[in-house]
Amino acid sequence: MNFLKKLSLLLFVTVFLFSCSSDDDVNVEAPNCEQAINGTIDICTILTEDPTDPIGLEDCDADGINNLTECQNGTDPLDAFLGDYERGILITNEGPFGEGTGTVSFISEDFSSTSGSIFNTVNNLDLGNIVQSMGFNGENAYIVVNNSNKMHVVNRYTFELIATIETGLDNPRNFVAVENTGYVTNWGDPFDDNDDYVALIDLTTNTITGSIPVDFGPEKIVTDRTSVFVAHQGGYGQNNKITIIDTSNNTVNSTVDVGDVPNSMVLFEDNLWILCGGNPNFTGNESNGRLVKLDLNSNNLIQAFDFGTTDHPGSLSLDDSNLLFNLNGAVFSMDNNATSLPSTSIIDGFFYTMTAKNGKLYATDAGDFSSNGTLKVFDLSTNSEIESTVVGIIPGGIYFNE
Amino acid sequence: MRHFYILFVLFYCASSTSVLAQLDSIQKLDEVIIADTKLTEYAEGFQVRSLSDSILSRDNASLTDVLRYNSSIYFKENGYGMVSSPSFRGTNSSQTAVIWNGISINSNLNGQTDFNLIAPNSSDQITIRSGGGSVQYGSGAIGGSIHLNNEIAFRKNQKNELEISYGSYETSKAIFKSVTSSDNIYSSVNVSYINSLNDYKYLGEGIKNENGAFQKLNIGYNFGARFNNHVFTWNSNYFYGDRNFSSSITAPSKNNYKDVTTRNLLSWTLKSSQLISKFKAAHLFERYRYFPDKDKLLFSEGKSNTYIADYSLDYFASKRLKFNAILNYTLIDAKGSNIGSNQRNTLSAVLLMQHKVSSILSYGLNVRKEFLNDFENPLLISLDGKLQLRPWYAIKVNASKNYRVPTFNDLFWEAGGNIGLAPETSLQAELGQVFEFSNLKFNLNGFFIDSKDLISWRPNDSGFWQPINIAETQNYGLEVTSEYLKSFNQHHLSVLMNYSYTKATNKEKNNQLLYVPFHKATGLLNYQFKKFSSYYQVLYTGKVFTTTDNIGVVDPYWVCNLGAEYQLNTAHTPITIGGKINNIFNIYYENVAYRPMPDRNFQLFINFKF
Repeated sequence: MNFLKKLSLLLFVTVFLFSCSSDDDVNVEAPNCEQAINGTIDICTILTEDPTDPIGLEDCDADGINNLTECQNGTDPLDAFLGDYERGILITNEGPFGEGTGTVSFISEDFSSTSGSIFNTVNNLDLGNIVQSMGFNGENAYIVVNNSNKMHVVNRYTFELIATIETGLDNPRNFVAVENTGYVTNWGDPFDDNDDYVALIDLTTNTITGSIPVDFGPEKIVTDRTSVFVAHQGGYGQNNKITIIDTSNNTVNSTVDVGDVPNSMVLFEDNLWILCGGNPNFTGNESNGRLVKLDLNSNNLIQAFDFGTTDHPGSLSLDDSNLLFNLNGAVFSMDNNATSLPSTSIIDGFFYTMTAKNGKLYATDAGDFSSNGTLKVFDLSTNSEIESTVVGIIPGGIYFNE
Repeated sequence: MRHFYILFVLFYCASSTSVLAQLDSIQKLDEVIIADTKLTEYAEGFQVRSLSDSILSRDNASLTDVLRYNSSIYFKENGYGMVSSPSFRGTNSSQTAVIWNGISINSNLNGQTDFNLIAPNSSDQITIRSGGGSVQYGSGAIGGSIHLNNEIAFRKNQKNELEISYGSYETSKAIFKSVTSSDNIYSSVNVSYINSLNDYKYLGEGIKNENGAFQKLNIGYNFGARFNNHVFTWNSNYFYGDRNFSSSITAPSKNNYKDVTTRNLLSWTLKSSQLISKFKAAHLFERYRYFPDKDKLLFSEGKSNTYIADYSLDYFASKRLKFNAILNYTLIDAKGSNIGSNQRNTLSAVLLMQHKVSSILSYGLNVRKEFLNDFENPLLISLDGKLQLRPWYAIKVNASKNYRVPTFNDLFWEAGGNIGLAPETSLQAELGQVFEFSNLKFNLNGFFIDSKDLISWRPNDSGFWQPINIAETQNYGLEVTSEYLKSFNQHHLSVLMNYSYTKATNKEKNNQLLYVPFHKATGLLNYQFKKFSSYYQVLYTGKVFTTTDNIGVVDPYWVCNLGAEYQLNTAHTPITIGGKINNIFNIYYENVAYRPMPDRNFQLFINFKF
């Protein structure tokens, strides 16, 4: 499909969504389309007049998929209207440190609109204090609220609340799902190095069903479905391990020393890339950052790149086959087959967090941490900023609804 | 609206009454000694206001309560009884100095005093000194200073007082004071204890203040002796606080803080007709322990010891001209889970001069310079003057350069502490007008504060928060204080009011600073008839901002309290019984976002004097 066609489809979809999205009924009725579209596009009108007309095999909702039923009831089951927050970027904002509530912002795919506090808008509830992160499983999003010791389960497209998990969590950090099991890293008491665990959630009932004790300071968590990998960043202190949990029996398969302060991970092909920040200077035991590569078949480290002693990189992300990370106020990019660390940066800026996707880098600036932050988007083909929009206070997580 | 009307009526009454001259209430009996003479002796051009005994006896749960209802100082309190930090004229929490018998007791660790950890009844006199006082009192006296003084009175006296009270949220309180003195010896002891579950309802939220219980114990001892021209004094205070820290609406809490402070001050004064020589030695100790989980024994802590040697010489050159030279050596030794073990030495030299040119004009010139410590130490200067144009009308002006040194947390905190920090400095000026008639006192003050190099914790390029000298602020505003007294037959009426307008902006963003209300007003109406008295307190706090872009706000609120007391007629042991209703209209209000304050609550007390 050529670019123009894509663009016109996108525009059409946007018009369609925004015309009908205020309707409470997810299955938008054809007459509504007719009214809302107001004659500018008459596909729905034609079809409503004669639903059995073979013309119905045309692409009524212009999503590029021809489907028999889509014109009959005005929607395409393969591309149904899923909710107000379909197709766009979701940002978790931690919220003010100490008091108050974090929020989730939604930015439409084309950046034409930004909605703040969408969870509160939909549910008339505050998320809680320090919205740490969000994870997904199917149509559900799991919002981890650190200081409130809870998780909200919502429909990722409508943001309607499905359940709140309030027991069994203690300083929860990050979530990942495998089939019907959710895994959540928990610090426990931050001053106690021996009570850290990964909570197990039955995603059919949204209750905590068990926990796996792990080494201290479990933070980021990713999965290749066979295993769950937990990076032990070290809480308020420092640690240097990852824990590998076997998802078939939910026991710890092994722990691997990877480097000091593992802060981010990405999976690519048969490897897990782990970025370690190194011990910071104030510890009196400063150590270099390190990027390591773990072979998923053997669970062995097969490659390691050492940074300079005072270099402490973070926010590892993957764009196509390139690894991106943030270091010393700049973004660096390296091919996953490179044999050395890159020496020149591609973008300037210290970002609170960043994520690459489809040739773009999404990065947040938390400003003074006491006011609304900013989401910036860079085109990785030109490394230039193409979008910037105000989000919430301390934007710490970037996610996508497609 | 009702409250506005009441205030308006009170104000109208106050301002439309005729008037006569009144004696200065600060005038003291010769035999009463306070350790800190420069508070009143070298401050002609400053606003210095002492709170009355009745105020101190009524809001005696914490210094926060005393000042919140009786001054323009705003408090950011994280739920009732929790950490309470002041904003005096829009300055930040470490820019109000708390001075105990002449010594600054702000924490060396975080630079501030938690006003809920001060037992007001252990002081005989609480005085609010507005405006810059760094020359006289050192670091932190930028917005103003709060002075807690003990009086040592050489006269024959024997009195004891016991007060017991009980109220809502299982709050029990006991205060005991005893004074024994003769012409040459003075000894007093005071003990206060308060214990509260503090589990008030969050109105409309369906939940309670789950983790807000606290208990506090304070023991004070003061001793004085004089022989010929020599006076020896000893002031001592011990405080223990054990507080759980409240949940907010959005986050549960299970943590706990335990604080201990001790303060000891010895002084030796030698007087002659032209000279007063005073040597002081003091030791201060503070320690906090933070338990993230109150049911566990794991904690982090910080503590500091301060040793002070201070020599002061007053020289009376003439009846109109006096000088005070002070040399002070302070050694601070601080240790903590996050700050390692560090020391700071400071030698400071202070020169104060007061010149009464005529019965109309007097002025003062004050200078301070510090040495030894690791900072660039600015020369601090303060100038003040008073023009007594009429017996009932005076103009007071002052201008000063003030500073606040970085705290041990700022310098050494792991992670982020920055040993390269410089002191914060501020320039300020104030113009005050004082009207004093027999029934009415009225103060009108305009102030201006320009601060730079303010220490602000910000994330650096490595992602760590680090304090840097970056912020610049400008504060200006207006304060009105009035006091009106009226008696007819055996009815006595008094009305006290404070109003302040404060514009405090961050120059970088040109927005109002966090948690500084534009408007704050307090009102106190006292009525007494024979042995019955009652009072009505009103507090208005305007909107405050919670985010630097001034998008997040805490709504303004009014709170009203009503109290009454009756003294029973018993021969030699006066017994007073009384009670108080706080928040009589049962309004929901937050002082800090997402941290509701108490609903309507009650206190009853009985007081014995023997």
